[in-house]
Amino acid sequence: MSTYSNQCAIVGVGENQRSRKSGTTPLHMALTAARNALTDAGLEAKDLDGIMNYSTGGDSCPSHELATYLGCHPKYVKDISGGGSSTELLIADAVALIEAGMLETVLIYRSMNGSSGDKVGRGYDPDMLQSMLPGGSFIMPYGSASPTQWFGMFANRHMHETGITKEHLGHVCISFYEHAQRNPNAFLNGKPLDMETYLATPDISMPFNIHDCCVELDEANAIIVTSASNAKNCKSKPVFIAGMAPRTTHSHVHYWTQVDEVAADHAAADLYKSAGVKPEDIQVASIYDCFSWVVMRQLEAYGFAKRGEVGDFVAAGNLKMGGSLPSNTAGGMLSEGYTHGMNNVLELVRQLRHDYKGTDRQVKDCELGISTGWAGPDIAGAMILRN
Amino acid sequence: MTKQTAYEKPIPLKTLDNHEYWDAADRHELKLQKCAECSSFIHPPGPACPTCGSPETEWELLGSDISATVYSYIVSYRPFLPGFQHELPTVITVAALDAAPDVKIMANIIGCDPADVEIGVPLKMTWVDVTDDRALPQWMLARK
Ligand SMILES: [Zn+2]
Repeated sequence: MSTYSNQCAIVGVGENQRSRKSGTTPLHMALTAARNALTDAGLEAKDLDGIMNYSTGGDSCPSHELATYLGCHPKYVKDISGGGSSTELLIADAVALIEAGMLETVLIYRSMNGSSGDKVGRGYDPDMLQSMLPGGSFIMPYGSASPTQWFGMFANRHMHETGITKEHLGHVCISFYEHAQRNPNAFLNGKPLDMETYLATPDISMPFNIHDCCVELDEANAIIVTSASNAKNCKSKPVFIAGMAPRTTHSHVHYWTQVDEVAADHAAADLYKSAGVKPEDIQVASIYDCFSWVVMRQLEAYGFAKRGEVGDFVAAGNLKMGGSLPSNTAGGMLSEGYTHGMNNVLELVRQLRHDYKGTDRQVKDCELGISTGWAGPDIAGAMILRN
Repeated sequence: MTKQTAYEKPIPLKTLDNHEYWDAADRHELKLQKCAECSSFIHPPGPACPTCGSPETEWELLGSDISATVYSYIVSYRPFLPGFQHELPTVITVAALDAAPDVKIMANIIGCDPADVEIGVPLKMTWVDVTDDRALPQWMLARK
């Protein structure tokens, strides 16, 4: 186990109301999420000495501005360009700064008008994309500008090699949609999905139809990390950060000459070592789910099912409540909402605190959870949490 | 015959690092960057070798008779960039060059029935003249 293991804890989580059209700014939404996380922790804004944020193409609000309108002056602010895996990587930064003695309590947030504002991978100027993305001139002229197309290239070869079928992808979607029916805050609450409907839905970009893709919404999430000693002073039950691992692979972010490995394959061993646990010890999971197949590939990478057996693993209901690995229990990004993975972490924290105890939404007695972040096949960030 | 309309799709932007590739493409030839240190091909081209980090690079002309096989592919039913709305579905592949399988060239497979495309099928490179002075490398299914 790493020296930092269990020395820091998540003590507060919060979000704003998610919608297709917020009618407000990312700053307003971030303020609501941050205030809710502070209330959850029983802390005040002046207790924050660090604030961190990630955004894609400047779609959020800066940390300094959030601090201004929370009415506080933290020692340290940090805004990074990122997406999937940034939640885990910023939590790792916070832990390092807390362990170094520089900071005590850090708020991390993600706020985006992901539906009414800029949508990831859409509406950009093609020449700007050619210049901005490494290798962009070798991608855009061929019409490949959407993550459905980028990740599809990995998915199709992986499915071809391992026997994963469209129906298997459907089991991922159906499992998460089922969770969303127990979560009144899930965007697709009230809209269950069955296999017949799933299979009858035409593809946007093979192998993905609309159900295989995350629900892009306007929403904000916030997480508060503090030292284990300070966690004792908080109102909430602390959820300790037991282990973490980052990893990059591939020479280019969008031009992939090799689709047979993903960064998660390499992050997994470091992750379990850092927490001193094994895949079979994990009881609840937040698996990054921008697309259904991304879940399948990470189940393989993080050792929950062997290569070639992931399809059977999800078809057997293992991602559902009562399965061996209840995952994305609020509905995930496929059916709750999409804030680049942070909403899945909020749910993992709530499960490990047993916030849903006495209801059919609680993963009974869970103590150990995993969160896997996926910025793409090339960047992974993962963490293990314990109560 | 419908009237010839202007090419609406993105045209490759030539840069300091990649213009040798696109200049060759305009002449209907494939030219690849290669590391002078470790001899790895570098594609897409760049300021140094991603395999070993060496800044010493050179260019190798592979000519106009280029064969490959489908390494992976997708079939896209919606346009995400201008111009593609006219040619749906769009097949996009990363194809492994027969002469250098580590090199994967992304392009569309044009003039095909998407149902005929699968991983491992042979391809032949072709060049489509998109303006008076620019040409775009594309793939076609190779005849058996
Ligand atoms: Zn080299």
